[in-house]
Parts: sequence; structure tokens; C-alpha cells
Amino acid sequence: MARLTPNPDARGELFSAYLDGELSPDEVALVVAAIDGDEAAVEEFRALQAVRRTVRMLPSLEVPDALLPDGHLGALLSAYLDGELTVFEHKRVTGHLVACTECRSELHELDRARIAVRSLPGAEPTTQTEVAAVPRDRRWRRVVAGGLAAAAAVTVFVVLAGGGGEQPVLVLEDLANRHAARASAEPGFAVQPTGLEVSSP
Amino acid sequence: MADEFTPTWEEVAHRYGRKIYNFAYRLTGNPDDAADLLQEVLIRVRKGLASYHPGSFEGWLWRITRNAFLDGVRKKQRRPEWALPEGDHHALGSSPSPDDVLASVRLSDDVQAALLKLPYDFREAVVLCDVVGLTYDEIAEATDVPVGTVRSRIHRGRKLLRGMLTWPV
Repeated sequence: MARLTPNPDARGELFSAYLDGELSPDEVALVVAAIDGDEAAVEEFRALQAVRRTVRMLPSLEVPDALLPDGHLGALLSAYLDGELTVFEHKRVTGHLVACTECRSELHELDRARIAVRSLPGAEPTTQTEVAAVPRDRRWRRVVAGGLAAAAAVTVFVVLAGGGGEQPVLVLEDLANRHAARASAEPGFAVQPTGLEVSSP
Repeated sequence: MADEFTPTWEEVAHRYGRKIYNFAYRLTGNPDDAADLLQEVLIRVRKGLASYHPGSFEGWLWRITRNAFLDGVRKKQRRPEWALPEGDHHALGSSPSPDDVLASVRLSDDVQAALLKLPYDFREAVVLCDVVGLTYDEIAEATDVPVGTVRSRIHRGRKLLRGMLTWPV
């Protein structure tokens, strides 16, 4: 049988592999013999055991929902269309869109609805009450406006679809341009849609 | 162990998404990098599954994961305005000051901070072993080095961690 080398690194390596259950029976016997009656070896073994346990006890973090296939983008899609995403959110959305047909299709529908609403003629009624209710923060104001637009969009889209009129077509270049325009206008808004290949249904 | 079937992309995402995310998080200490890596890996898996031949699925997946991670690190090396994970500075030949090291640590977690101070090869081996839970054989396959090297890296990583962390007696 092989003898345990006095080299502390080799001994430590055996201890470490022993803790991981990666040794042959012969090597296990060496470890057991080395620990027996050798205080320094016992101390080294315990220290490695503690390190291993500590790293293994690091909490396992949850994956953010939108990163997984059934974590569809939902509200992020409208915010994406409105150029209201943070850089991190933007990456999540573009990454997800590449892989998810369902969200691509939803984005397409949302964009058509959004463009339809925006092309409606007429005034935009804004009462004193509504203005007062809008939070001061610009981002929130946009979210509120986006929500109202989205609600209206559903109705309008149904009307348009039923009427068989000419409907706006989603062109991703337009999206990219909108984002780029906002990005250049607002330095803090650095979003650059890149490499997104989404085919229109 | 060889798998007899090829999982779908969705199955891979659900079965391994959390492990991939945690792998990247523990290597970088950064949730954005972890999210980027997971997305990148899932995209590569989706493309790669078409040509995947049933075999050691874990080995295949973790090779993709590791390569995607290293590609991400290389990209960031070309864009110096993005902070690198601390342990990768040594690969560039620079030696960060202790302040730089501290600045790159986003978690106030001593263990995470200590992990980030490990040289990349050791950190990767320890994370694949203790966070992801791969065997030495699987780590060897994923990182393309002999099992003996894996064993040595894990031990040397733990030894360095031992020096950085204090333990209750």
C-alpha cells in the first residue's frame, strides 16, 4: 500500500478529496491512518472540513422569474416599447425575446396596439384630479400613462382587427431607433438594443 | 453518468437554471453577471441541443456554461469601464490594490468576498464542487483538465479560503 507523503499539500489534497468522497479505498485508509494520533493532521482536516461546509452553506439564490422560459415578460414588454427599461431589464428582455416565441408574439401585438392608440385623432382629456394623482417621479408618471394606454389599446386593437383596416406593423428597427433616440437624449438611459433578431409573425 | 435522452431547452432551463445562476453569482458576486450568464447559456443550449448527441449531458452543459462565462469575462476585459471580477485581474497581469478588491465585492458576505479573492482556476473548481455539486470527474470534463488537477485546485482553493476566513474554535 502507498504511504502518505509528508508533503502537507499532498496530505491536504487527500483530506479534501476524502471530504468530497472522491478517494479510492486505499487512499481512504491512508487518510484514516494519517489522522490517527496526529494533532496537526487533525487540525488541518477539521479546518478543511469547516471551509468546505461553509462554502456549501452559502445560500442558493433564486433565479429571477423573467430569466426562465415560463417567466414571461408581461409588463416589461410595454416598458420595453416605451423605452422605459433599465439597462439590466433591457438585457433581460432582449435575451428572453430571442428565445421565447410567446413573448415575441405578445410584443408584436402590444406594439400594434400601442401604435394604433398613438395614431388616434383627438384631444387627450386630463382632469385636475388625474394630474394630482400622478406621482412626481417621471418614471412613475410614464408607467401610469403606459398603463392607461395599454388599457385603451386592447379595445382599439379589437376594433381595428374587426374592421379589417390597415394595421401598423412592428418593425424592430423602429424599436431600436426609439431606444437609441432616448438613450442619446438621456445619458442615464443607456439602452442599446443590439443583436435582437425577431421575425414578425 | 451518460444520459439516454436529450432534454428540451425548457427542461434544461428549469432543471439547471438555478445552478447556472448560482455558479455565475458565486464566481462574480454580481447578480447582473449571473443573469447575463444564464441567458447566454440558455441561448447556447438552445442552439446546441439540435446537434447534441446523447452522452454526458452534465459535462456538455457545464462546458458550455464555463465557456460562456469565460467569453463574458473576455468581453469585459475589452471594455475596461466594466469592473472585472477580482480574481481575474491576475490573468491580466495587474495587481489590484486592497481597495480595488474591496470595491469589487458587492456582498457584505465574508465567504463570498473570500471566494472572489481566489485565483480564477481555484475559485471555479471550488464553486463547481461546493456550490454546483459536481463530482471531480464532471469538473474535469467541464474544465478540460485531468482529475488530478481538479483535486489539486479544489484543495488549494480551500487552503487559501482557510487562510482568509477565521473559524470559531
